Amino acid sequence: MCLCLAGPAVALDGNEMLQKVDRNLNPDSFEMYRKLINIEPDGSKKEFIMFTVKKGRDQVASVFLSPASEKGRATLRLGENMWLYIPNVGKPIRITSLQSVTGGIFNNADIMRLDYSAEYNCEKMEQQEGLLVLYLKAKTRSVAYDSLKMWVDDKKLLPNTIECFASSGMLIKTLYFKKVEEFGGGIVRPAVIETDSPLYKGYKSIMIFAKMKKKELPDEVFTLNFLSKVESLR
Amino acid sequence: MKKALFALSVYVAGLVLTFLQPAFGQGEYEFDLSDIEKEIEKKPYSIGGFLEFRPVLFGLDRDSAFHKLRFFDQDEGSTLEQYNFGLRLEGGYQKGIASLYFRTDSRLWYDYQGWDGDIDLLEGYLSLQPNPSFTLDAGKEVVQWGKGYAFNPVAFVSRPKDPDDPTEALDGYYVVTADLIKSFGGPLKTLAFTPVILPVTESINDDFGKPDHINFAAKLYFLLWDTDLDLLFFTGESRTTRYGFDFARNIKTNFEIHGELAWITDFEKKSIDSQGNLSTEESDILRFLLGIRYLTTNEITFTVEYYHNGGGIDGDDAENFFKFVDRAYDTFLDTGDSSQLDKAARLSQGTLAAVEPMRDYLYFRASWKEPFDILYFTPAVTSIVNLTDQSLSITPELVYNPITNLELRLRGTFLARGKNTEYGEKLNDYKIELRVRYFF
Repeated sequence: MCLCLAGPAVALDGNEMLQKVDRNLNPDSFEMYRKLINIEPDGSKKEFIMFTVKKGRDQVASVFLSPASEKGRATLRLGENMWLYIPNVGKPIRITSLQSVTGGIFNNADIMRLDYSAEYNCEKMEQQEGLLVLYLKAKTRSVAYDSLKMWVDDKKLLPNTIECFASSGMLIKTLYFKKVEEFGGGIVRPAVIETDSPLYKGYKSIMIFAKMKKKELPDEVFTLNFLSKVESLR
Repeated sequence: MKKALFALSVYVAGLVLTFLQPAFGQGEYEFDLSDIEKEIEKKPYSIGGFLEFRPVLFGLDRDSAFHKLRFFDQDEGSTLEQYNFGLRLEGGYQKGIASLYFRTDSRLWYDYQGWDGDIDLLEGYLSLQPNPSFTLDAGKEVVQWGKGYAFNPVAFVSRPKDPDDPTEALDGYYVVTADLIKSFGGPLKTLAFTPVILPVTESINDDFGKPDHINFAAKLYFLLWDTDLDLLFFTGESRTTRYGFDFARNIKTNFEIHGELAWITDFEKKSIDSQGNLSTEESDILRFLLGIRYLTTNEITFTVEYYHNGGGIDGDDAENFFKFVDRAYDTFLDTGDSSQLDKAARLSQGTLAAVEPMRDYLYFRASWKEPFDILYFTPAVTSIVNLTDQSLSITPELVYNPITNLELRLRGTFLARGKNTEYGEKLNDYKIELRVRYFF
């Protein structure tokens, strides 16, 4: 059930609001670069750089550009189907959204994220001190997190914080959206997502977005046969 | 002395790791978006790879058939060590729709025979990609077909993987291949066609099969109802005609099933009699595998595969071979005549010395990603069971990436089961290996 709110966030119901948030986070078809940083309790860190293309609500392909040990590893997601291509192995293998190709707190579902509205329904929306709180429930059991609690800036309509819960109600991780930046082409969104997790006490993972821009992409880019060639789109 | 040298290698690697850890543990989290934009600037060329150091300790089984075949006239003791040094170099150059790609392996090793080494071009090809729907490649390339993790009976145009290390890079064949891809809405999401031309001459692809022929293979891929499906085909005079089918599907997000089926026509099935004579009989055979991959909530991945090799040596023939080796060795001890051992060594090529030589195998692997919140650490255990004679190998391993681009892997392989069995008659009882790779 979705509740409607009046006020600055206009009279959108929760699911319409979620779609607005999705479109504000990224265009319908685009490319981007991301740096992932895993920070351990002793301060040591590991960094990864990925090139990603996404089209529509549920087609995502990514390839690691660095570090050297990961270079060329590519992942493809078509809805609930997810594959990993390892250059040495030479063929894609099916993987799951709960695994992590990088290690650390971000898992594949975070790195190969679909539109929130593709995976979640808004069950409730409420106003809290300049923020909207969206209570999201997974549409199917195959979604990585059973439910999300999303705090949304009610003027920019961009997420501020997201808590991710398992079906047991246990908090799995919290995502913090920071540093809203102008990426060009009318894209204004947080450039940084930080995450921590009660399951990884003292650890922190950070995702930094760069060079996000609209790009027309044929559907053939999002296929197993093209997975080893995703880097050629740069 | 030998064991001490091996232990010293492991110890030195541990020391290096200990000293490296704090040096890389002081960094503070800070970043600048403009620095990141510089880092991701695209260059037309790329070059990378890794340096490898891999000491191996073999615990020899001095009563085994393969020990007798190799060391019948020399005594190398109960253990052997080998020190391997490697350089993998790979790179590419892209201009417009064309790109060049290469991967080479340079190896140097020291063992009881002294120093030796080699350099291999694993892959090197030109790729033309006018648009994402069409790619044309020509050169030496690995065309890896199939869905299996340890075995790929439908990989008609590639070399067999080593089931002990299935993620290692393979050596390619010289081919011309294309990829034609079409995407759709509805239940059929992708259709892709991959034809392959593989010539065999005295100097090109000479180990593939009969020379002076041009062979054709093709794969038709469907992503249909969220299931990967492939129909595969090979024909040519270098090897007999063969047909294949494979599939992979996620039953649940954490539970995947896959399978492969290959029908090979006019296959030369080998059998060995008690006198060590090899005979062949032509018949159509089936090779197939069924496998699952299952991920638990605490990140343990189980991979299980059953593989049937319809063209494999059966249990009686294997026993005939091992008994023949025993008799040939006894003859050598009595008379000094090694001709029967030479005959057995020739016989082993293409039969029991081959990869997965027998009929039925079970592959099991459990790997636990980052247990006890130890980042970048993955312990695993792998076992391959020969279901015909119940012999098996067990391989526990630890993989750790303590710092960026450094990978350490320590593994031991232990072979179990006795006389006249595949794993019981291998050269060694156990193998302990440390692999240190630094990527650049």
